[in-house]
Amino acid sequence: MTRKILIIEDDAASAAYLAKGLSEAGFATEIATNGRDGLFLASEDIFDAMVVDRMLPGLDGLSVIGGARAAGIRTPALVLSALGTVDDRVAGLHAGADDYLTKPFSFAELLARIEALLRRRERQASDVQAIRLTVGDLEIDLLGRTVTRQGRAILLGAREFNLLEFLARNAGQVITRTMMIEKIWNYHFDPGSNVVDVHMSRLRRKIEEGFATPILHTVRGAGYKLSPEA
Amino acid sequence: MKLSITARLALLAIGLALVSSLALAGFVWQQTHDDAIGELRRDTIEQSDTFVAVFRSGGLKALDATIAGSSADDDSLVAEVVDATGHRLLGAGPEHLVARPVAEPFRIGVLGADGDWAKQESGFTIRPLGNHWLVSGRMLDDWERAQRTIERALLLAVLLAVVLGVAGGLVLTRYVSRRLDRIAGAVDAVAAGDLGRRVAVARGEGAGDAFDRLALRINGMLDRIDGLMGELRVVTDSIAHDLRSPIARLRGRAETAVTAEDPATRETALSGLIPETDLVMRMLGVLLEISRTEAATRDAFIPLDPALLIEEIADLYAPVAEEAGLAFEVTAEAPPAPVPLHRELLSQAIANLIDNAMRHAAAGGNIALLLSVKAGALRIAVADRGAGIAADDRAEALRRFGRLDSARSLPGAGLGLALAEAVARLHGGRLELGDNAPGLIATLVLPLPAAKLGA
Repeated sequence: MTRKILIIEDDAASAAYLAKGLSEAGFATEIATNGRDGLFLASEDIFDAMVVDRMLPGLDGLSVIGGARAAGIRTPALVLSALGTVDDRVAGLHAGADDYLTKPFSFAELLARIEALLRRRERQASDVQAIRLTVGDLEIDLLGRTVTRQGRAILLGAREFNLLEFLARNAGQVITRTMMIEKIWNYHFDPGSNVVDVHMSRLRRKIEEGFATPILHTVRGAGYKLSPEA
Repeated sequence: MKLSITARLALLAIGLALVSSLALAGFVWQQTHDDAIGELRRDTIEQSDTFVAVFRSGGLKALDATIAGSSADDDSLVAEVVDATGHRLLGAGPEHLVARPVAEPFRIGVLGADGDWAKQESGFTIRPLGNHWLVSGRMLDDWERAQRTIERALLLAVLLAVVLGVAGGLVLTRYVSRRLDRIAGAVDAVAAGDLGRRVAVARGEGAGDAFDRLALRINGMLDRIDGLMGELRVVTDSIAHDLRSPIARLRGRAETAVTAEDPATRETALSGLIPETDLVMRMLGVLLEISRTEAATRDAFIPLDPALLIEEIADLYAPVAEEAGLAFEVTAEAPPAPVPLHRELLSQAIANLIDNAMRHAAAGGNIALLLSVKAGALRIAVADRGAGIAADDRAEALRRFGRLDSARSLPGAGLGLALAEAVARLHGGRLELGDNAPGLIATLVLPLPAAKLGA
């Protein structure tokens, strides 16, 4: 089944760019060019996710999301905004958005975030509390907070465990550096240089050293991916 | 009508002078006054009533006899009948009145044109008596004269007070408005664009009055405005300067990509566009964050354990420092009770300081992150063992884009310290740069809320 994304964006060029990129990634898209139309379409509850520009004519993006939530629509929403300061982002997330991305953004970042939103929703829908995650030969026990690969125990720090759990929950999907900073450290600023890369290379050393096959992959220009296949 | 402030000030001064002198005069009058004059008035009217009654029943003859009887042993008594010109026809009293007689219920004044009557005042009444006038009354005695003098003096004093009050009010108003005009003049000049203008402040003897203090405050404010304007200019210049190089590189790569024949060259050139764009974006993002921080409110503050905040940021950066071959030490002394802080911005400020320290630390050196409480302030310090910043250059280092020349060759947008300072200011504190001998120790000094000190 093709997954449908609602794009609410008043700038025609940006909307077209989003629609093109998303359909290349295998999504069906629909575009609304103002807040009112967007809310109307969202109310049909036929979309798997929506991408909402914050500044819209008529009804602004956060009000669209608020309106949809009030109508009982749980479609995951990602807000796009040129307002990029920390407080703006926090305000956006408080207003009912599930994620927040500052313009301009890399398309890989947007795609990774949409995938993560969709997977999170599917997980919620299946409503099974996983107690064990398995990615290839890597097993993560969420209750005992232990990790084994090919039966060998791997010792991880608390933060490393959280990172690995996050990657494993989104196994096969790209996770960007900023997503990790937001989800694992709960910071909404860019820590600069190669902070995430350092943490990832440590994690990689622990789960790959002494094993024949790589499992934590760097996706150039985007982020990281935990997957048994390259 | 709304009066100008100077007019109101003048009226106030006059009013105050009047009220205080009236109160004083009233007090003196109340202390010295007795009813001597009132008694004189009553006696005089009673006496004249008697004479009129005698005249009505017995005519001038009977009146003459009555007057002669009552004035025989008292030469201060007036009891006479005068003609229309004021000449005495019968009875006792002055030969001539000072003026032509007119009806007077009661009056005190000089009555006669001759003898003692001309020298001293009398209390008298003048009533018509047929074609003539009856004048009756008495010359004032010493006590009554003293009373009159006091009352006159008090009246004069009140008049004088009004005059002095008006004069004082005018002088005061002129003084105040001259001092205010001097301040207003300087402010107007600054508003008109002369940013260097300051209010002249008196020095030496007599300096430091309220106007001088006001002037000093206004000068302080103008200095800050001037500083901000200067900073803005520097920022504009620096944006132009610092953004030019990445944008020039961006353009160069794009050009290479467009003109490249070989797909591999084009690929390399194109992939280089993204990090350059990211650098520009990051510079703009931090710049925006700084200006928003300077205008931010404290709404987003939540009570936090500073030690936990330090621990979290250390958790993020310790591995990075270690990878770079630097020892990373965290010391969190005496963590106080939760303090209202902006977690995101404060973390970012500390991150910037750590990032800065890592960039400048000498290889194999160490970086220390210290949390302490001293003199009612939270002190979060990041110390490195790098080259440090010379004392003279520290202010420059805090300025936006103020990357020091010796560091120009290193990557980094040079905005980190400026953001850290803005965040410290948002928390009511400051960023201190000190000498770590060798190296730099950058300290965020955040005053603790007073209420929390006792806790």
